[in-house]
Amino acid sequence: MNVDAAAWDALRLSLWVACWATVLAIPLALWVAWLLARKEFWGKSALNALVHLPLVLPPVVTGYLLLTLFGRTGPLGRALESIGLSVAFHWTGAVIAALVMGFPLMVRAMRLAIEAVDPKLEEAAATLGAPCWAVFGRVTLPLIAPGILAGAVMGFAKAMGEFGATITFVANIPGQTQTLPSAIWSALQIPGGEGQAIAMVVMACIVALGAVVLSEALARRVAAKISGA
Amino acid sequence: MMQAFTFLFALILGTSQLAAERAPVTVFAAASLSDVLEAAAKDYDGLVTFSFGGSGVMARQVAAGAPADLLILANPEWMVWLSQQGNIGPDTQQIIATNNLVVIGPAHGAPLHPQDLIARLGNGRLAMGQRDAVPAGSYARSWLQSVALWDQVRTQLAETDNVRAALALVARGETPLGIVYATDAIAEPRVSVVYDIPAGSHAPVKYPAAALSPAGTDFLNYLTSAAAAATFAAHGFGPAAP
Repeated sequence: MNVDAAAWDALRLSLWVACWATVLAIPLALWVAWLLARKEFWGKSALNALVHLPLVLPPVVTGYLLLTLFGRTGPLGRALESIGLSVAFHWTGAVIAALVMGFPLMVRAMRLAIEAVDPKLEEAAATLGAPCWAVFGRVTLPLIAPGILAGAVMGFAKAMGEFGATITFVANIPGQTQTLPSAIWSALQIPGGEGQAIAMVVMACIVALGAVVLSEALARRVAAKISGA
Repeated sequence: MMQAFTFLFALILGTSQLAAERAPVTVFAAASLSDVLEAAAKDYDGLVTFSFGGSGVMARQVAAGAPADLLILANPEWMVWLSQQGNIGPDTQQIIATNNLVVIGPAHGAPLHPQDLIARLGNGRLAMGQRDAVPAGSYARSWLQSVALWDQVRTQLAETDNVRAALALVARGETPLGIVYATDAIAEPRVSVVYDIPAGSHAPVKYPAAALSPAGTDFLNYLTSAAAAATFAAHGFGPAAP
């Protein structure tokens, strides 16, 4: 099947955006999951609701809110622009959209993993003289690694598939913000564009299947390592 | 209580009987026609239900058997595609309106000379429909190519999934300029027309309609009547045969 350059560009951009969104979101999601699982503080349920908002809001609403906040006339957009970082109609904006949409899925997976950790193991390590960073790094982190991995895969998958918030926030510019879903949508708007759309649908399926297979393999290795240790 | 229900029931029945002098009609139409069609339907003595969307989405839904009585698109190419699929006969189609393309800026924007377009954009972007997917976007590309600005401006576009989204970007001040239909500019007070794009610089903007049932034909006949023509003109649309 003849696949034109725009489709490959869209695939490359989608992978690029999804990788950035996942890598940036992991530490932040881990921190928020930690707060929600372990800490009691004023405004906890508000934070929980805020984190879940992109999951329950229609994506077009999230996209519109992002445009309002991060657009060139929005408060955060103006602040970013003053330090030379423009996100409106730029691939970095697509990263923000993908990050925000995938974030609740990541936090949920990581929070469950943290809640499943027996605090007695951490206390034992602490009474044996381990400083708190070592307790986290050598006890907690290995135990929650499968949860982090699961969260990362969910976040990546969401980032790859994100359409509504992205097209509303950063539009549909080939080579800049036209991700694979946007490119498929565009192809379906052109009479006779089915062939191109099907080629990209196949690409999307291959990436999705590849991500699942890879994450299963990684999860098995992590599980083997933990039980072996 | 019971009386209240009876009254309510009679009211609902009464209005529906009033409205049902003509058969109810379901219209699938391009999003850029939403304002004018809803205004026209108010004066029609039958119940009209609309589903608005992009021309491509509408055409594909009709091809997939959507229960539309009348289909009105912003792009003749999709009508050709539908007749090739065997969904509509060639004699059921007609052009019901035409439109023009304009460059818009913020309210009270100074008139634009095309040669100053790049300078006026500065480091901002030009909002328009997606170049391949949205009809208004491909008309805009034709014009930009005809004035030899396309190669310079193509890296400075904010391409949207429909022309109304491009309108909203200019209205919100996200982009300094945009290319939309003249009718869109009329509908939005926060923007002004800074340049009228010559009609000859792109394929003519026509709205073809195809009736898919007798009820659809009734409403289509109404839309092409003199009464509806005034509504179309008031919304800035050109006559079917200029």
